[in-house]
Amino acid sequence: MEQVRLTQKKYCSRAMVFAVFGGLFFILLDLKPFGKGLILGSIFSIINFILMGESITLKIGASKKRSAMLSLLTIFSRYVILAIPLIISLKFKQFDFMAVVIGIFMIQIAILSEPAFNLLSKFKS
Amino acid sequence: MEFATHTWIQAAAYSSAGIAIGFGAIGAAIGEGHTASCATLAVARNPGKAGEILKTMLVGQAIAESSSIFALVIAMLLLFSNFSAESYLTVATVFSAGLCMGLGAIGSGIGSGFSAGAACTGIARQPAYSSRVMTNMLIGSAVCQTPAIFSLVTSFILLFTNFSARPVSPTWAALLGAGLSTGLAAIGPGLGGGYVAEASCEGGARNPLTTPSVINVMLLGQAVTQTTAIYGFLVSCILMFKSFPATDSIAVPILLLSSGLCMGFGAIGPGIGVGVSGQGAVRWIARNPNAAADITRTMLIGMATAQSTGIYALVVALVMIFVM
Repeated sequence: MEQVRLTQKKYCSRAMVFAVFGGLFFILLDLKPFGKGLILGSIFSIINFILMGESITLKIGASKKRSAMLSLLTIFSRYVILAIPLIISLKFKQFDFMAVVIGIFMIQIAILSEPAFNLLSKFKS
Repeated sequence: MEFATHTWIQAAAYSSAGIAIGFGAIGAAIGEGHTASCATLAVARNPGKAGEILKTMLVGQAIAESSSIFALVIAMLLLFSNFSAESYLTVATVFSAGLCMGLGAIGSGIGSGFSAGAACTGIARQPAYSSRVMTNMLIGSAVCQTPAIFSLVTSFILLFTNFSARPVSPTWAALLGAGLSTGLAAIGPGLGGGYVAEASCEGGARNPLTTPSVINVMLLGQAVTQTTAIYGFLVSCILMFKSFPATDSIAVPILLLSSGLCMGFGAIGPGIGVGVSGQGAVRWIARNPNAAADITRTMLIGMATAQSTGIYALVVALVMIFVM
């Protein structure tokens, strides 16, 4: 599990850096709802990823059928968590909805940024 | 008992949100379950690399889950937005948006799970090349999400475009057809793309030196796999943006609805078939890289043939819209 924790730490910190710098950038451009939405969405994306890692121990060692059922259950519970920033942004004008949507994909952006950056540097060289 | 337009819109939005999230969860859950199952096998094969395998599983599952998060976004929009009650067409748009996103998330969720599962098994087999296998998986899984992105875009267009100036009949059917076209058409390419990515991860682990050529063929195979999803999206755009004259006949709305269904269902088989073809090619290029050129040529010919039924569906859908 140590390696999983390290992976979580790596991608969560990268996502947080993207969110903070992106958020600050938009706040400085006087697009406060967008910046705040980005940070809010990213925080919940990180929480979701951490919970995802915690649920691994449940799935490992289970049969295919049982692991699919466990996945369905954990997905639904994490849906509830990811729904929170979306509901907040739809109810309060201080948070931009589209920015929250981008924010909840911040972990995926952090994960995919690595091969994308590698490919870009390969093309350049 | 008579209901106001607003009540119908609310009822459609609530049921549509349920459909979006319900269907959206199916694909991601199966994909994640498959990944976990493959990770179990991989850990049993190589317990010393359990940490590395769990790490790959976690990252793969995070990507596989993206499509269901798209569905969540649409469901939340449907539940908490105030829709204009100017026209009954809003009932069709909100229902179609949820249906489109829910169906569109199924294939991508399962497909991404296939590649993540193969990556876990591959790392157990070739732990020294785990970073290559991981990169391979990430690229393959990201491309698998394309059909779900088409569905998300279609749902956004349906929700944020004002169709109230159009006649209720036959526009309601065109809008429902648009959602069904992209949603159903995303299932096959999502799964097919997953098959290709799975073979790529497996092949890259079997023969790590072939990884660059395997990734190139994987991308080519996945690009062809996505074609039928593009057909579905194209038919949706025509149904959404073409103005149809008002009619009292039920035949015209049914025709437009059928064109969406025709393209949607017609894209499922070719998407999977093309993916199976790509899977075979990628798998064998990894085993016999010297025959890569011949295998790629055979793959492309096979894909073109498998694709033809999707083209028939596209032609029939276009005839239904423009000729009939």
